[in-house]
Amino acid sequence: MIDPTLLVQMVLGALLGLSVYLPLSGGQLSLATPGFYAIGGYMAALLSTGWPALGGAAPLYPLPSLLLELGLAGALAAAVALAIGGPVLKLRGIYLAIATISLVEILRVLNLNLPFTGGAVGIFAIPQPFSDPAGYLGAALLLLLLVGLLCQRLEGMRFGRAQAAIRDDELAASCMGIDTARVKLTAFVISAVIAALTGVLSAHFLNTWNARQGSFDASITTLAFVVFGGSRSWLGPIAGGLALTAVPELLRPIGDLRLIVYGLVIVVGPVFFPQGLITPELLKGLARWWPWRQREAAP
Amino acid sequence: MQQRPPAEPLLAIEAVSCRFGGLLALDAVSLQVQEGEIFGLIGPNGAGKTTLFNVISGLTPPSGGRVLWRGTPMSRPSPERVNRLGIARTFQNLRLFDSLPVIENVLVGLHHAARQPLAGALLASPAFRRRQAVLRSQAIELLALVDLAELADQTAASLSYGDRRRLEIARALATAPALLLLDEPAAGMNPVEKDDLCALIDRIRAHFALTVLIIEHHVPLMMRLCDRLAVLNFGERIALGTPEQVRHDPAVIEAYLGGQP
Ligand SMILES: Nc1ncnc2c1ncn2[C@@H]1O[C@H](COP(=O)(O)OP(=O)(O)OP(=O)(O)O)[C@@H](O)[C@H]1O
Ligand SMILES: [Mg+2]
Repeated sequence: MIDPTLLVQMVLGALLGLSVYLPLSGGQLSLATPGFYAIGGYMAALLSTGWPALGGAAPLYPLPSLLLELGLAGALAAAVALAIGGPVLKLRGIYLAIATISLVEILRVLNLNLPFTGGAVGIFAIPQPFSDPAGYLGAALLLLLLVGLLCQRLEGMRFGRAQAAIRDDELAASCMGIDTARVKLTAFVISAVIAALTGVLSAHFLNTWNARQGSFDASITTLAFVVFGGSRSWLGPIAGGLALTAVPELLRPIGDLRLIVYGLVIVVGPVFFPQGLITPELLKGLARWWPWRQREAAP
Repeated sequence: MQQRPPAEPLLAIEAVSCRFGGLLALDAVSLQVQEGEIFGLIGPNGAGKTTLFNVISGLTPPSGGRVLWRGTPMSRPSPERVNRLGIARTFQNLRLFDSLPVIENVLVGLHHAARQPLAGALLASPAFRRRQAVLRSQAIELLALVDLAELADQTAASLSYGDRRRLEIARALATAPALLLLDEPAAGMNPVEKDDLCALIDRIRAHFALTVLIIEHHVPLMMRLCDRLAVLNFGERIALGTPEQVRHDPAVIEAYLGGQP
């Protein structure tokens, strides 16, 4: 039986995978997810430790205060994404990746040096809204369910179709009357909100939050979730996030060797599954066994 | 033949120039396209025909001159705004959404027709589903028009060359244009397909009350199809008129038709 703590981490990983996936399914290689994840975590940490009404002692605790934190973190992330998305999303391909990694680094340095973020040690003793991992697992699964459903719906809407068109040929998409800048910005903002909400849950779950939570290697790891799981369906990043979060933990018994094995999994995965674990063909095959088939959702 | 042109042209190109470094790809080109006509653009390779399409469709900013749509100058046009005005185009080097099914390519063209209340779309409400079904049948109708309805579920990449050209036309038509820009739609087609294409262009013009601006190297086809023609050579418009006038224009014979009237 897998340890419930690990299950929580896996679900949080799947959420971060979806956050990277959303811009990527529109062809935008944005690696800003850990930055917004950090913003969400700090929001939760600061509010629940700094504002007594939101802390463990108050009658507001835990659900309303958690919802308030989620709302505020989502709003802040959306505002930041809206503000920087315009100029940043003019960049393409690898340049966008570099710019968003820089953004993550800038946020990390800010978080290290701002007067209220606790410097290198960060923020401690974040109140626990749930007494055991099962509570966190429930909350994280609920969020994953909502975000997964959102992604599934978006894919069946004109927004998803516009994203696919931009991914295939942005210039042709704009000549078909699609406001490509707007579609890309929308995906970027939704991605930021998902990351921030995940950060809120994560900060409470980890009990402590510091600048290391949003770093350059997290950009790469979360991208690996999508590459490994598959970037052609929202199920891909979920599978990738679950699997790649579990692998290093399950390999803990073999000590430092696990990092090598983990690296091998990431390198070898795309060799055997160039489209990731979840491919359109696989889904088509599965759809035949799916009893509640939906006409319009089938791609 | 064409009757007396109405007062206001649908599209007016006024002294449009386009410079790429030392190369003057368009040199103060002027022409007017009247509502309802099929207007041809011919000229040797590198004459600037595609560049003119790129200027009209908002992809390449002109270095001089201006483009008027129904008498109004298009200020700072972007491709999506130009399309919203009612100008759709195809590409000389096919630019389909290759990984998407054929029908999805057309549905992308129906992007603006597909606007629906967000809540209904997110919840997959019955109204949303009904509207989706209507859009699909519209897409199928457009595909049937270009003889591709049977291939609706294949990926665009898997189509033959001629089919891809016709799919681009269907996709452009889906955006409900008033003016259709066709950049060498017959390129790579065999003579039978070319004849069919001519018939198709005539058919869609009547069906959608379209104006068509077409680039094509196949001169006999253009002479037959077009109401009027303009001839470009090294970025300059060297002739303009009915096929009959253009055929006998000395400058055209000199520059383009290689001395065969
Ligand atoms: N983006 C660009 N940058 C630099 N030069 C360009 C660009 N686009 C076109 N040109 C040049 O402008 C000239 C006109 O090109 P254009 O594609 O408009 O010709 P065309 O009449 O469409 O020719 P063809 O019949 O071969 O399609 C060519 O010499 C081409 O190399
Ligand atoms: Mg050309």
